Amino acid sequence: MLAMDQGVVEEWLSEFKTLPDSAVSNYAASLKDKGALVPALYKVIRENYSDLLEPVCHQLFEFYRSGEPQLQRFTLQFLPELLWSLLSVSAARDPHTSGCIEALLLGIYNLEIVDKDGQSKVLSFTVPSLSKPSVYHEPSTIGSLALTEGALANHGLSRVVYSGPHLQRETFTAQNRFEVLTFLLLCYNAALSYMTSTSLQSLCQLSSRVCICGYPRQQIRRYKGISTRLTVTSEFLVQLITGIHYALCNGEVELGSKALDDVLYRAQLELFPEALLVGNAIKSSLHGAALKSNNKEGARSIQVEITPTSSRISRNAVTSLSIRGHRWKRHDAVDLGSPDELMDISEVDEGVWPGGVGPDMTPPTITISNSVTTLNLGAKAMKKCRLGGRTSKDKEAGPLTTGRAASENTELSVKRLTLTSSQSVPKAGALTSLTRTASAVFSRSFEQVASGNAPPSSNHNASEAGRYSCSLQEEGLGYLSPTPNHTQRSPSISVHLGSDL
Amino acid sequence: MTARKSGSRLETEIERCRSECQWDKIPELVRQLSAKLISNDDLGELLQGECKLQTYLKENPIKQGASPRGPRPKLVEVRKHLTAALDRGNLKADYLQETSLLMAKLCYVEGEYRDALGHYNRVNLDDMQLVGAPVYRLSMIAEAYATKGLCLEKVPAASPSLSNKNTGSPASNRSTTDREQEIITCYEKSGDIALLYLQEAEKALSAGIQNRSPKPGPTAQDQELGYFLETGLQRAHVIHFKNGNLTHGVGRFREILRAVETRTTQNLRMTIARQLAEILLRGMCEQSYWSPLEDPPTVSPLDDPTRQGHTHSKNYSLSRRPRVYSGENLFCPQENTEEALLLLLISESMANRDAVLSRIPEHNNDRIISLQSASVVYDLLTIALGRRGQYEMLSECLERAMKFAFEEFHLWYQLALSLMAAGKSARAVKVLKECIRLKPDDPTIPLLAVKLCIGPLHWLDEGECFGKIVIDMGEKAAEFRAKGYLAIGLVYSLKATDASLRSTQEDYQRKALGAFQRAQSLSPTDHLAAFYLALQLAVSRQIPEALGYVRQALQLQGDDVHSLHLLALLLSAQKHYHDGLNIIEMALSEYPENFNLLYTKVKLESMCRGPEEALLTCKHMLQIWKSFYNLTNPSDSGRGSSLLDRAIADRRQLNAMTLPDFSDPETGSVHATSIAASRVEQALSEVASSLQSSAPKHGPLHPWMTLAQIWLHAAEVYISMSKPAEASACTQEAANLFPTSHNVLYMRGQIAELRGNIDEAKRWYEEALSINPTHVKTMQRLGLILHQLQRYSLSEKVLRDAVQVNSTAHDVWNSLGEVLQAQGNAAAATECFLTALELEASSPILPFTIIPRAL
Repeated sequence: MLAMDQGVVEEWLSEFKTLPDSAVSNYAASLKDKGALVPALYKVIRENYSDLLEPVCHQLFEFYRSGEPQLQRFTLQFLPELLWSLLSVSAARDPHTSGCIEALLLGIYNLEIVDKDGQSKVLSFTVPSLSKPSVYHEPSTIGSLALTEGALANHGLSRVVYSGPHLQRETFTAQNRFEVLTFLLLCYNAALSYMTSTSLQSLCQLSSRVCICGYPRQQIRRYKGISTRLTVTSEFLVQLITGIHYALCNGEVELGSKALDDVLYRAQLELFPEALLVGNAIKSSLHGAALKSNNKEGARSIQVEITPTSSRISRNAVTSLSIRGHRWKRHDAVDLGSPDELMDISEVDEGVWPGGVGPDMTPPTITISNSVTTLNLGAKAMKKCRLGGRTSKDKEAGPLTTGRAASENTELSVKRLTLTSSQSVPKAGALTSLTRTASAVFSRSFEQVASGNAPPSSNHNASEAGRYSCSLQEEGLGYLSPTPNHTQRSPSISVHLGSDL
Repeated sequence: MTARKSGSRLETEIERCRSECQWDKIPELVRQLSAKLISNDDLGELLQGECKLQTYLKENPIKQGASPRGPRPKLVEVRKHLTAALDRGNLKADYLQETSLLMAKLCYVEGEYRDALGHYNRVNLDDMQLVGAPVYRLSMIAEAYATKGLCLEKVPAASPSLSNKNTGSPASNRSTTDREQEIITCYEKSGDIALLYLQEAEKALSAGIQNRSPKPGPTAQDQELGYFLETGLQRAHVIHFKNGNLTHGVGRFREILRAVETRTTQNLRMTIARQLAEILLRGMCEQSYWSPLEDPPTVSPLDDPTRQGHTHSKNYSLSRRPRVYSGENLFCPQENTEEALLLLLISESMANRDAVLSRIPEHNNDRIISLQSASVVYDLLTIALGRRGQYEMLSECLERAMKFAFEEFHLWYQLALSLMAAGKSARAVKVLKECIRLKPDDPTIPLLAVKLCIGPLHWLDEGECFGKIVIDMGEKAAEFRAKGYLAIGLVYSLKATDASLRSTQEDYQRKALGAFQRAQSLSPTDHLAAFYLALQLAVSRQIPEALGYVRQALQLQGDDVHSLHLLALLLSAQKHYHDGLNIIEMALSEYPENFNLLYTKVKLESMCRGPEEALLTCKHMLQIWKSFYNLTNPSDSGRGSSLLDRAIADRRQLNAMTLPDFSDPETGSVHATSIAASRVEQALSEVASSLQSSAPKHGPLHPWMTLAQIWLHAAEVYISMSKPAEASACTQEAANLFPTSHNVLYMRGQIAELRGNIDEAKRWYEEALSINPTHVKTMQRLGLILHQLQRYSLSEKVLRDAVQVNSTAHDVWNSLGEVLQAQGNAAAATECFLTALELEASSPILPFTIIPRAL
């Protein structure tokens, strides 16, 4: 380490100690003007045996504890480097443990897991739902939402905890190491926009090294540090990927894509579905986007072009939307003999398809792409046609026997059809209001149960909590029944859950 | 009178046609108009000019991003009409303005940008009325602003001469900034008015459809925006992003998205929603986020610092603005992931609607487009939800993507992974099978399937098939080949444990050993291969060999918990109990909350240090359990997929609140009185017993099962101390949680035995066996009791069954020997005793199989 660097660090160490409290925020703002300081600090952290390491770690912790956001971010920028230092030392089973780095990381962790009042902090977020109006949409315009059990269960906005509460930790153990480090990376990721490119590069390096050390790929990357394998967890990799994603999109294309590849490589070897899932998604979403490397100073590769607003999908293609409006006739159960003849039954206007279901019907016209062709159906098929026509009044909808090529589509659409046919009777508005009532009823009864049993002191037994039932039927019907003319049964869903069944 | 009336009807008709862009009808209407009144001639000129200009643009659309066209078109006729209308000056002021705007547009089309700007300056766009203006005029104004912006971009700033553009003097810099500001303001105004126009046009259209006769007119379907409106709507944010001004770009996106959607803007909204979500996920973090209803931060790390001078502030107001979504209780995101998710869900619903279902070749391109736009959205959804660990919801979303997924590997694979991450193992395996079909060369996929089959599913036959797929890949599988052998070794190892026939057992054990050896030789640096080889050797009681490999595993991975545990058990098998206990304590210093280690510790402690120490460890376990699971929030692991899941999760939480005080096990326990609750527990208890009978599964056990196990261990210690009352109390705690667990019943039998109630004990053991007929320990106790009752042949039968199930249980062999001896079969008895002796010499304190086997 050069004497000059040492001087810079020593000056930095001394000046903060003498700083009055009032000057802290000005000092924080002035830090980024000290050009030589940050590289010098990186050197101190990298050289594990430096005498300066302990005071530096101490000072970085003081910065973090000050609560001043800029000072906290100053400390956070070194996090990837500190993590690597810790992991490499513990993997090499170096007797010279980096106690001060451990202390710094644990200190940050213990500060971050509690809120201002010293209570365990729980990080949560709201899962948005299309069935609730938002600043960006109105539920009725989204179209009929599938009224599945899953949709109902998730109906309304639910608050979900994604991290915490965490236990205070005094030492790193093999068991808690990655739990703590994952949480620290979460804190780092929350401040990604404020991180310098050096810090992002260091994050990418950390990711690569953690993932490849001890594996054959280490040779390819020509990394000559430790060569023991480091244990990782899937959650830790997901947090790394989050950071890499940001780096990739903000100037660090080369290091970032290398790091992403390495993390995915490791995730494959470890068979971690979570990391594979997110990593694959990032790779595939960036595949199309042209990533420019750091061509202009600080240029970010977020680019937006003017895009044509008209739909790029041609009008006569069958889409999920168009097929919804399509009324399927019973007599379309046509066996076309050889499946090659049938390419697809594209959406047919009512006018084209023979409307009257009479015995003297003409052979059905099937539009293939744009041209209308009258297919010469085999005798067998014709027979089936007639049969289908006659039995069309039967309530039972026979399975569509179509060619293999189209069977998947039709199957899909038939399913959709059964869903929409009952929904088409009440107007769309009524349906959404049903959903809304449903959720209201659900959440109401749910809250009652929750509040009823909330006091932990009371000797409630669990049975009461389990006994709630949510019946959408009565309320739902009440909502829909006023219209006398609809003969079809309105959709009713009743969910009973509870101990008294 | 009639003339006037028809005249006004004509005017309405003209206005409607202009609003709906039905230019082909204009000539006919103009003809009718000129027949009515002479003074309408000028209006006729205006209309004809407009009509011809628009028709020209429709036939020769200007493309976004197209390079400056070669020969500039000359629209002589249009110019003639418009000039005529302007020159005579008989028009009303409104119409005069319109003519000027059209003239300017014409100039732009002809490439005369300066002339166009001249016209705009004369009209003064800002003075044009938005309130009460007919719909078509809104569109004209919006187009005019956009065109003005385009012209301003084309014409160099400030001075017409290009020479001083790059001088860089502060003054010229200043004026560039002003110019840029002016351009952006033009586009933003254009965009706002365009949105207003589209909303009004749609309103007018729907009103028109209701009023008009059945003749629906030309299907007033998706109106196309045209070059100018498209530019107006989008150019402002494009410039913001180009300048590195993310804050304003995001702000502009949000303004557009907050405007109530129209049919025409649907595609635009879908694109913009996706783009904004991309920015939120790629370029923002929690700390730099601000909510859509807040003011953006004045200084943001998102903006390019080198262009700090170019800050642009919104400094215009319009007399009328597009309607925005409003109402009470509007959801407004408070975090970047929330907003990204909301936007993506909106895009997803639109992308889903546009899914092209037909598979005819003519629609190939459409299908690719719809697939691409959807998969971008699904990828972003995966990124957002993955970050927050919401795999349950993600798997539901990806399931909706399946209508695009025919032969699309990426979508199938992502669905499989999300199902796996959400814990829906059985479905995940099914989807993985499809993935294998689509991409047969990738060894990861069958390995993922084996992982599920070995772990949560315990589908060993299926697992074997998947493992073989990997092995059959041979060299192609590269680094995954060793993993393949490891996987198949685990399958055989588990099969050996499950097998009831000794010969099959031995067969599988041999196969497992072979596979592990192969894995170890292929990947000598993999500690797992060495470890499982050691474990398999230990199970077949080759203790010294096993010790060798476990040491090797520990050299590769010094703090691997399972290797350490195995080492301790191996030492205990060699009767080095103190050494084993030391290893366990060392392992516990690294894994203080590992219950598996603690169970072994209890056993070893009662052996080496007496039961009091062991009881202290039990108490410690209860404390750990409490601190551990009291903290864990059930919603942590994602939302339950079904209502039942939720109910169970919530019940769990409520239960956790009324937990007994562990320091005093006699009081305040959980009373599961209700029938339904016990039913749930029954189900869980079944899960528990199946778990224990086969092998402890990977992953954290159900917290309640852990608790029950702790109580049972404590009960065992009390039994060894001959304290039936305490043991009974502990067992009762476990019984409250899992009343029908065979372990609980077994423990009750032991307590009864301790109290000398042989008949009661027998009853308990029989009940335990009726739940789990292969519980060896119960069989052994039952055999002993039957022996005491002098029912030798039945006792022999039970013990022989037990030996079949587990041939390494030395105490069973011993009991069998005793029974045979009592029956006078001395020779067979001797053999049994010898076997028992031999097995006892290599018997660990707890079976080796308590160490989980998983990929």
